[in-house]
Amino acid sequence: MAHCGGGQAASVESHFQGLLDDDDKYRALCGAFGYLQQQEWPDLSGACYSAFGAPPPPGAATQATSNGAGNSFTCSGSASSGGGSAKRKPDAYVDAKDDCKRPRGKQQLCDPGEAGGAAKGRPEKPKACARKKPEPAAAGQKTDYIHVRARRGQATDSHSLAERVRRERISERMRYLQELVPGCDKVTGKAGMLDEIINYVQSLQKQVEFLSMKIAASNPVVNFNIVDDLFGGRRMNQACGPAAALPAMTLPMHQGQLDPSCLQMSSATMQQMQQPAAGFGLDMLVSSSYPAAQSAPPAAAATPVSMSASATASVDSCLDVNGAAAWDIASQHLFSGFDAQFQSVQSDCLLDNLKMEL
Amino acid sequence: MSSRRSSRGAISEEEINELMSKLQSLLPNSRRRGSSQASTTKLLKETCSYIKSLHREVDDLSDRLSDLMSTMDHNSAEAEIIRGLLRS
Repeated sequence: MAHCGGGQAASVESHFQGLLDDDDKYRALCGAFGYLQQQEWPDLSGACYSAFGAPPPPGAATQATSNGAGNSFTCSGSASSGGGSAKRKPDAYVDAKDDCKRPRGKQQLCDPGEAGGAAKGRPEKPKACARKKPEPAAAGQKTDYIHVRARRGQATDSHSLAERVRRERISERMRYLQELVPGCDKVTGKAGMLDEIINYVQSLQKQVEFLSMKIAASNPVVNFNIVDDLFGGRRMNQACGPAAALPAMTLPMHQGQLDPSCLQMSSATMQQMQQPAAGFGLDMLVSSSYPAAQSAPPAAAATPVSMSASATASVDSCLDVNGAAAWDIASQHLFSGFDAQFQSVQSDCLLDNLKMEL
Repeated sequence: MSSRRSSRGAISEEEINELMSKLQSLLPNSRRRGSSQASTTKLLKETCSYIKSLHREVDDLSDRLSDLMSTMDHNSAEAEIIRGLLRS
């Protein structure tokens, strides 16, 4: 086809030289045609007609349409490279874009604004302009054009361009999350995936709580602090609220002050969760209960202390007198009275009693 | 094209927003930001890192627990308590 392409190209060039007063555009066009000739287009005139949105003769139209995306791609590619320094995205995405870019790439030759957009190096830009100026393409061309655009869901204006970039980023993140969350690849749809992710995060949180609780239970010092915290929470609630703060609600409410999403776990585990860097040190946990105790007004503080005392009394056999006295003495130095041999057995009994109370 | 997308999106957009806010409330720093709706991208990014940190934490705690269990005297009272706790 190259043999006829040369002659046709010459005539077409002269034809369009009249139409295009701009030198740059003409040069771009020539570049495009030079490229086309190298590529041995079957019917140059058809390509040229379609390139300028003019209704080609019936034969040319069918040929140009039947030639499909391969030719179109070549045309748009050469046109934009001739028209300026249009950069391409270096990924596979480009192919799909160029596929749809065909009509716009040609319009680029006719439209100075279009060429400027391409020169800016934004590959989506030509498409944005192309929609604003619908071209009167042939029927076959038009359906192809619309079909491609609809299929790809290509952006139309700058807003949808930004939106598309955003959506791409979101779906990228979603894919990443899909890898991260087991079972997420089975569900389809964004909503299902989000559901799965939420469930997974919740289960992980529970797992962390449970594990830290187990560790807390296996460590006497920390177990001691669970009790401490239980009382701390109770005291806080009593201090903040009226007697309507039901005993059954104390533990969850205390946790609610730390993290609304947490469940029926020990508040000590919550503290560990929130301060993972901190150790299980006695000081940290005990001191964390101090503000609550100190914030309690004297009148309000009296109630929890007495409650603590009763709780202690129920496990009196486990506790020595010093410990029992410590509950009564001061809310500020709750556990200073306990001796170092405060056993996890005891604290566990205490905890169990508390649970029963709660 | 846009009408089709919007009609399709209208159904799920609401519930997706709902799920997004639910997810945001799960994240540890969601309270710090208050009610301001973070962008979806940012939210998903934070979810990724949060899940990873939770993984790390679970691993860490599991290691610690197994260490504790291994160093513990199996007949001691502590071991009994832990066994009871693990059962519960």
